[in-house]
Amino acid sequence: MLFILEDAINGILMGSIYGLTALGLTIIFGVLKVINFAHGSLLMVGMYVAYWTVTLTGIHPYLALVIVIPAMYLFGYYLQDIVIKPIFKAEKDVREPITVIIVTTGVWYILDNMTLLFFGPQYRSIDDNPLRGKMVEIGEIMISLPKLWGFAAAIITAGAIYYFFQSTRMGRAIRATSLDRDAASLSGINQYKIYNIAFGIGTAVAGIAGVTLVPFYNTFPTVGVLFDIKGFIIVVLGGLGSIPGAIIGGMIIGLIESVGPQFMAATWTEAIVYGLFLVVLFVKPSGLFGVKYDW
Amino acid sequence: MTGKDAVREPLKSEVNRMDNIDDSEALRNRIRKVSLLLIAVVAFGLPLVMRSPTYLHIVILIYFYAYLTTSWNMVGGFAGVLPLGHAVFIGAGAYTSTVLFLQYGISPWIGMLIGGLIATLIGLLIGLPTFKMRGAYFALATIAFAEGVRVMVENIEFLGPFQLNGPRGLQIPPLDIGFANFMFANKEPYYYIILIMLILVIGLTWFISQSKLGYYLNAGGEEPEAAMALGVNVSRAKLIAMAMSSFLTALAGTFYAQFSMFIHPKSIISLDLSFEIAFIALIGGRGSIAGPILGALLLRPVSDFSRIYFGDVFPGLHLVIFGVVLILVMIYQPRGIQEPLTRIYDRIVDRLVEKYRKGVA
Repeated sequence: MLFILEDAINGILMGSIYGLTALGLTIIFGVLKVINFAHGSLLMVGMYVAYWTVTLTGIHPYLALVIVIPAMYLFGYYLQDIVIKPIFKAEKDVREPITVIIVTTGVWYILDNMTLLFFGPQYRSIDDNPLRGKMVEIGEIMISLPKLWGFAAAIITAGAIYYFFQSTRMGRAIRATSLDRDAASLSGINQYKIYNIAFGIGTAVAGIAGVTLVPFYNTFPTVGVLFDIKGFIIVVLGGLGSIPGAIIGGMIIGLIESVGPQFMAATWTEAIVYGLFLVVLFVKPSGLFGVKYDW
Repeated sequence: MTGKDAVREPLKSEVNRMDNIDDSEALRNRIRKVSLLLIAVVAFGLPLVMRSPTYLHIVILIYFYAYLTTSWNMVGGFAGVLPLGHAVFIGAGAYTSTVLFLQYGISPWIGMLIGGLIATLIGLLIGLPTFKMRGAYFALATIAFAEGVRVMVENIEFLGPFQLNGPRGLQIPPLDIGFANFMFANKEPYYYIILIMLILVIGLTWFISQSKLGYYLNAGGEEPEAAMALGVNVSRAKLIAMAMSSFLTALAGTFYAQFSMFIHPKSIISLDLSFEIAFIALIGGRGSIAGPILGALLLRPVSDFSRIYFGDVFPGLHLVIFGVVLILVMIYQPRGIQEPLTRIYDRIVDRLVEKYRKGVA
């Protein structure tokens, strides 16, 4: 039984990092009502920024946050401002912004393949890594230390974002825009600026997820795709636009992935995850914590 | 001159004048017919001129993608949703006909139709619960479904009595070449088969766009509430479109299996394939008849040639180009490249009509 418990704990920890990826996705959807298909690629960019920061300066992997968070925020802010906003404006009167979705797919292709062009297809991991293979022992249970830190980062980030949305002026403006963009505009909120900021925050959160992944995960150009699809599944499971939903949804997926292989071939757990996703879509599209009007 | 003729005379001149007004319209029609005929002659005559199998292969793939995108367009274009999992139908068609052929010796032509029917069922299965959802959810549901199916096929060696071979895929041994086995030694027969398939599907799309169903789909895509208030059964129209689209897409799957003689889940049920279809449609012009064809004509050569010439040095370059073209087109020509091209065509026709008139005068 003990090894199942061990798997379950490590799965939940890994799942919380999935949740962190999904958190950025859910913030962007919540405000812009656009599913950001490029989100995995933003995570990938975050991982590369973290990787190069650590490799070039030799600082502790988690200290890379100091560079990654502002860099990714600005990257997301201007990505939305320059690439996505014009299409958003053109499609303003359309109820379902489909073009914007497909444009984020274009961003995904560009980012992934530009990275492939510049950095090549090889898998990279930090050479001088103080966290590699570090374990925490609780009784006979071994817990991966970098995953534990990832868990902490996920909880702290989700808490901070939640506080920011609930209690600051800017957070309230963002929530107002997500509830009713026209009414928010009428109250003097510049909705396009809010979109930029929300996209920046979502990208920065993807950057945080990237930093927590770098110490124990390989960095390569298509790493985002793995997390992209998982991110979609998690946000639908937890409810699009819901912050606790993203983290808890991530943990559920992590749990299935880690405990599942005890009972069946590992690849089948992937099929189960897709199955679960479809069941949720069909039975309760608003997800576990979602709000009805969002779908 | 009898009285009767006296009446007829002014009428005749009236008719003649009407003829003059209608003249330019008739002329335009004639120009359209001539240019379509020209395109048809070029398309059917191409293999006589183009002897290189490599180039012919590229043109076949252009038609193949134009066909896929035109089929996709019935749902993605006219019904106004964004399906991003059409590869699952290609896979259904390819696997059905190939399994039936390899294990039971059933001609792929029959397998093609059975594959189409299976794909139709899958399409309805996806469509029934998802068409009520908003655009984003529909896109996600189709992606998840296609990816889920790919993962399953990769895990399944035997589906009941049917051998799928999991991730290794299926290989068709080129033994009995002939029409009945949908297998040919040269590229030319494949060329004509996909060309005829493409012409038929374009004809069908044109027919639908002129029909009641086309109007229902358009209305439902743009203003679902208003359309429903007018008594249009939007989700039924969408379901019909989905059924046709999945059936037609599956036929192309069989074609691809017979053309490449080798299918495996990563190539034929891949997310990239689904996305590429959507990209071509959006860049060409969603919801128009010419859009998918123009999109495939523009994008496929870009992808093939950049792969041939830069594949070693710059892997993935064609996907960067795809992405950039997509974003630029969406910003500056949200209705796709078919719009400016149609305008250019119209201007040329105008000038021709003008010239003809001057010539007559």
